[in-house]
Amino acid sequence: MNPQVESAAPAPVPASVSGSAPEVSPQQAGPEASAPRSPLLSVRDLGISYGASKRNPKLVVEGVTFDIFPGETLGLVGESGSGKSTTGRAVLRLLDVAAGSIAFDGVDITSFGRSTPLSYRRDVQAVFQDPSMSLNPRQPVHMALTAALKRHGIGDAASRRAKVHEAFDLVGLQAAHLNRYPAELSGGQQQRVAIARALVLDPKLVICDEAVSALDLSTQSQIINLLSDLQEELGMSYLFIAHDLGIVRHISDRIAVMRTGRLVELATAHDLFEHPQHAYTRRLLGASPAEHPEGRVERRAQRTAYAKLHAEGLIEP
Amino acid sequence: MIKLIATRLLLAIPQMFIVAMLVFLLVYLVPGSAAAVALGDAAADADEVARLEQQLGLDRPMLEQMMTWFGNALHGDLGTSLIYGRDVTGMVLDRLPATLSLVGAGLLVAMVIGVGLGVLAGTHARRPVDRGVTAFSSIMQAVPEFWLGLILILVFVIQLGWAPVVAWVPPAVDPAKWAQGLILPALALGVGASALIARQTRTAVASALSSKYADTLTAAGVPRHRIIWVYSLKNSMIPVLAASALAVSILFGTSLVMERVFAFPGIGTLLLSSVISKDFPVVQGAALIVCALVILVNLVADISYGIINPKARPQ
Amino acid sequence: MNKPTPPKTEAFRALAPPKERSEASRVVRRITRQPFAIIAFAWLAVIVLWAVFADVLAPYDPLQNNFTPDEVLQGPSAEHWLGTDENGRDVLSRIIFGARVALAVGFGSVLVAMLIGVPIGLLLGFRGGWSDRIGTRFVDIFDALPGMLVAFAVIAILGRGLPSLMLAIGLIFCMNFARMSRAITLSERSKLYIDAARVSGIRESAILFRQILPNLAGPLVIQAAILTGSAIIIESALSFLGIGLESAVPSWGGLLGVAAAKQAIQPFLAFPPGLVIIFTVLAFNMVGDAVNDALAGDQHKRIKPVRRSRRAGAAVASVVPATDPSPDAVVNPLPIWPEPVTDRDVEGEPDADRREPVRALPPLGVAPDRSSGDILEVRGLDVELRPASGPHVPLVRDVNLTIGRGEIVGLLGESGSGKSMLARSILGLLPPGIGVASGRILLNGEDIAGRGEKDLRAIRGTEIAAVFQDPMAALSPVHTVGKQLMEPLRVHLGLSKKQARVRAAELLDRVGVRDAANRLNDYPFQFSGGMAQRVAIAIALAAGPKLVIADEATSALDVTTQAQVLDLLLDLRDEFGMAILLITHDLGVVAEACDRVAVMYAGEIVEVAEVDRMFDGPRHPYTAALLAANPTTEAQVDRLPTIPGRVPLAGSWPTGCHFAGRCAFATDACSEGSVAFVDDVRCVRADELSKELVVR
Repeated sequence: MNPQVESAAPAPVPASVSGSAPEVSPQQAGPEASAPRSPLLSVRDLGISYGASKRNPKLVVEGVTFDIFPGETLGLVGESGSGKSTTGRAVLRLLDVAAGSIAFDGVDITSFGRSTPLSYRRDVQAVFQDPSMSLNPRQPVHMALTAALKRHGIGDAASRRAKVHEAFDLVGLQAAHLNRYPAELSGGQQQRVAIARALVLDPKLVICDEAVSALDLSTQSQIINLLSDLQEELGMSYLFIAHDLGIVRHISDRIAVMRTGRLVELATAHDLFEHPQHAYTRRLLGASPAEHPEGRVERRAQRTAYAKLHAEGLIEP
Repeated sequence: MIKLIATRLLLAIPQMFIVAMLVFLLVYLVPGSAAAVALGDAAADADEVARLEQQLGLDRPMLEQMMTWFGNALHGDLGTSLIYGRDVTGMVLDRLPATLSLVGAGLLVAMVIGVGLGVLAGTHARRPVDRGVTAFSSIMQAVPEFWLGLILILVFVIQLGWAPVVAWVPPAVDPAKWAQGLILPALALGVGASALIARQTRTAVASALSSKYADTLTAAGVPRHRIIWVYSLKNSMIPVLAASALAVSILFGTSLVMERVFAFPGIGTLLLSSVISKDFPVVQGAALIVCALVILVNLVADISYGIINPKARPQ
Repeated sequence: MNKPTPPKTEAFRALAPPKERSEASRVVRRITRQPFAIIAFAWLAVIVLWAVFADVLAPYDPLQNNFTPDEVLQGPSAEHWLGTDENGRDVLSRIIFGARVALAVGFGSVLVAMLIGVPIGLLLGFRGGWSDRIGTRFVDIFDALPGMLVAFAVIAILGRGLPSLMLAIGLIFCMNFARMSRAITLSERSKLYIDAARVSGIRESAILFRQILPNLAGPLVIQAAILTGSAIIIESALSFLGIGLESAVPSWGGLLGVAAAKQAIQPFLAFPPGLVIIFTVLAFNMVGDAVNDALAGDQHKRIKPVRRSRRAGAAVASVVPATDPSPDAVVNPLPIWPEPVTDRDVEGEPDADRREPVRALPPLGVAPDRSSGDILEVRGLDVELRPASGPHVPLVRDVNLTIGRGEIVGLLGESGSGKSMLARSILGLLPPGIGVASGRILLNGEDIAGRGEKDLRAIRGTEIAAVFQDPMAALSPVHTVGKQLMEPLRVHLGLSKKQARVRAAELLDRVGVRDAANRLNDYPFQFSGGMAQRVAIAIALAAGPKLVIADEATSALDVTTQAQVLDLLLDLRDEFGMAILLITHDLGVVAEACDRVAVMYAGEIVEVAEVDRMFDGPRHPYTAALLAANPTTEAQVDRLPTIPGRVPLAGSWPTGCHFAGRCAFATDACSEGSVAFVDDVRCVRADELSKELVVR
């Protein structure tokens, strides 16, 4: 018998996990605990429910708590169905929040109601996974930036054009790309446009939802470097959502691990990879393909042993 | 299975109710007094108009009249013809066999030609055969069915004399002649709908054959004819079924015209003369029964859909 | 009244702002490039001219009666080119004037339908939720009613006349527009670029009108064109029945009504109006199709079917020895993996099989094939795309690759490298229009390149099998997994239904599906992605292949699931000894599972190496760059080394080394001529670079 962790039925979260989640204190794992700063984004006991009726809410995210500090990158990892993208969409106010609070710059954004203040729409931007889908195929690519600037009442037509130019320049695109349609650009170039759109409003926080997952390896590294460079230059924070542990480790200061809607571990990038505390984190690290064949026989033996124990019901799923 | 039928049946009831409501409202939608319109030029006499309004129930509150009408309809009483004084239900039922024979035979033609050509084109996607079938179905969609009927009569009845002048023979009288008489009308009726089914089938079969599961089975050495006739066909049947249900609705509509071409004593000719003579109860009754038949066919299609597609079954 | 699916166009460029006029003109140019479209437009122009200038163009007054017996119901003559009708009126003139009614009703009713239907559809699609569900139900009910019946009802209510005709036909089509607008709005609404617009703070109204509505324009134009044709048919039917316009008003359908009544006297009368209707409707349909094709761009380019070479016809017997198809072959204890029974029809199975007791099945297993020699050898393989017009485009070039028995070889490449095309050419599963141009694919020493369907069938499943990327799509959704798993067992092993079921359950159990016997009755959607992939692996393994091609078989899975499926493949290789060609873009998968690896770039294999050697000492600059660009969970570097530029597309490969344009070590020599694959590497500087290419 083999372990069936990928079976469709969501496994009940064992007591040890749910118990440990709230104990993860964002301050404990803060990047510079010695010099406490106020967090830019502060998520507390976040709960999100999908579709189900109000009387009987089915939570897909529950009790998620984390902070993001100015200029910091928080990685959010997990497998499909872990609720990591859902969390990101809630921060972007694309989903309703069922429980808990999300404070941005000290203001609880869950109290905004239906409408979202323009200032929040300026300060928090996003880069999504599939670059070909995140640009309107029927508009030249500069329109996404121009429309945003116009909406926020920034500059006149000429200065807006200059700003768009500047943003394109910043992400390594040329003026010739401005009037292209998304289909005429490569995946990497499309993602650069998406990043330019996020930057042009001068945001404080950018949610990168699997921003490099759809790209080829050689393009991926270009975009990761671009994101790092931009952060160094402009100083914004990232919430970097991804399933690839290698990428997340490379770019993040701290990393949060999610599983079936809950946060199971939050630690600095170094600690998480060198001293994983939670059993699921360890399993995730063990399953993640290594970058060198060395030691693969042992790794496989370890996984097999784990699977055997699991099949015999000796360890929690 | 029983659950599947039950849920689909439950969905059909409100559907039928809404349609019946629309049919009931028909007389109320007539601008001015329906009674006066029905009497036409003869409506000079106010007494006569008042009498007809009473007969149609237009003198009573609408809600009350609606209850009566629905109650009667449930008992199979659809009112009385203004022209013939006969009960509408009887008149429509008398004409049902001709219409059902025509639509049934038309559907048979549409399915046989449509699925046959569609599979042929789908299995030869982007080859000359496929282009031929596509051209055929494009042309057939542009040909008015009633004109095709006229031409068939011209060629086979008037010029060649192969088919009888009177197409309709009740099956009870002579089953052989009944079937023979149906050939031309069914062809004229079905070829147009077959174009629709052929297009859907072609797309479904072509995409089923280029699907990943066809690759999996091919890579496992399963013969192509089995992949086509067992795997692709069942997968293709889902869109084909939807197209066929739509085709039935179209066939019912077109049959109303085709009956006139072939002088079939069906619901279509009845409806036509009632529309011209403003015999509202007959228009209502005939419309209601045709709609009920279409909803019934959709119900059957819905249930078959659930049988083919395991995901559509209630869990 | 067909319902064409909205075209999947990547852009309706006609709506671009005037500055991008080149886009709009591109669509127009594409339309004018279709000869049928030009004919259709020309015909419609004639009809419009008729309608507008009928008074000038018609030779006679269409209402002028002439009851002289030799003027009534005449055939074509010099005075009346198309004859006369029952009142002695000129048919040609009535047809020319009839264009007015046809176009008025056609355009008018479609306009009515759009005005009613599009707002309903937009509202339902944009609101979503409950109102959408209920509203859509209404739309469906209304749309299911026979159109002609609706028209009858409207005419019964409102009487005859042009407005009631337009309304009657408009009501038939309005739900069609509603349904289409709703579907497009709904699908656009859920797209990422709408989320992106929201995040930028764009107003909901602006999103609806500026972002969503333009998507609707193209399909609306197409649908309107086609439905205008349908409206003309319905109008003619109603006029034919005598409930359209007054019979004196000249209309095409009215003429047909007369033709029907006087068929026995003047049969010719049915043809002119009938053909005019057919041509007009056909023209509208063709315009719709032409716009559709023009919007879809080059997606539907025609391709030339690739002729299969017939040379390999008889050779199959030597590749796979056919066994005696008599029942005895099955009654005798089954060989562990029986030789394939190639020409047996599953249906025509002898009865002996059914009586075969189930317990006669041997335990699942295969003798590891340790015989010497390579299972697969690919030599100088070229694969190319052959468009109907234009030059052939190479997709795979000069591939040399061997796979030993029981060996796991990785085929590593980015998208556009041609790795999947290579896999498909080995399996003989190339899409239409793509074929092997030259080279050999030796399976057990026999060339199978370009073999026909029948010959390959004997090899597939028994010698070579495949597992594909998306496990859900790789299984037929409407058949149970048991049926699909039993298929190769029955085809190749000639097992009875009962035996196949037992073996299928064993296989499913072996690949790690719990409660296997019962799960045979389940449908694919009842499995998770990982479990579905295990089923696909079981199907591939069913007839004991010697080589399994796994094309990105774990790429769609989560990391923990991916690890389990990879481990399963490794276990199965250890147990059954089949070779595996593992196609992937993931360096980690190569590191975890492969014995050897071939690196592919822009259609060519650039390097083949033992797996340790590739990771420790890459010999091709591309391999080295790829390894360096991989972000790792171990080493922490500030910046990732990158590869500038991007993979060149097939058709625009540079002469010489395909990687030269992005290579840090490129010299002029690299671009001079095609680089040979020497000593397992394709690089002119391979030897001098051996010391420079060190991994961090």
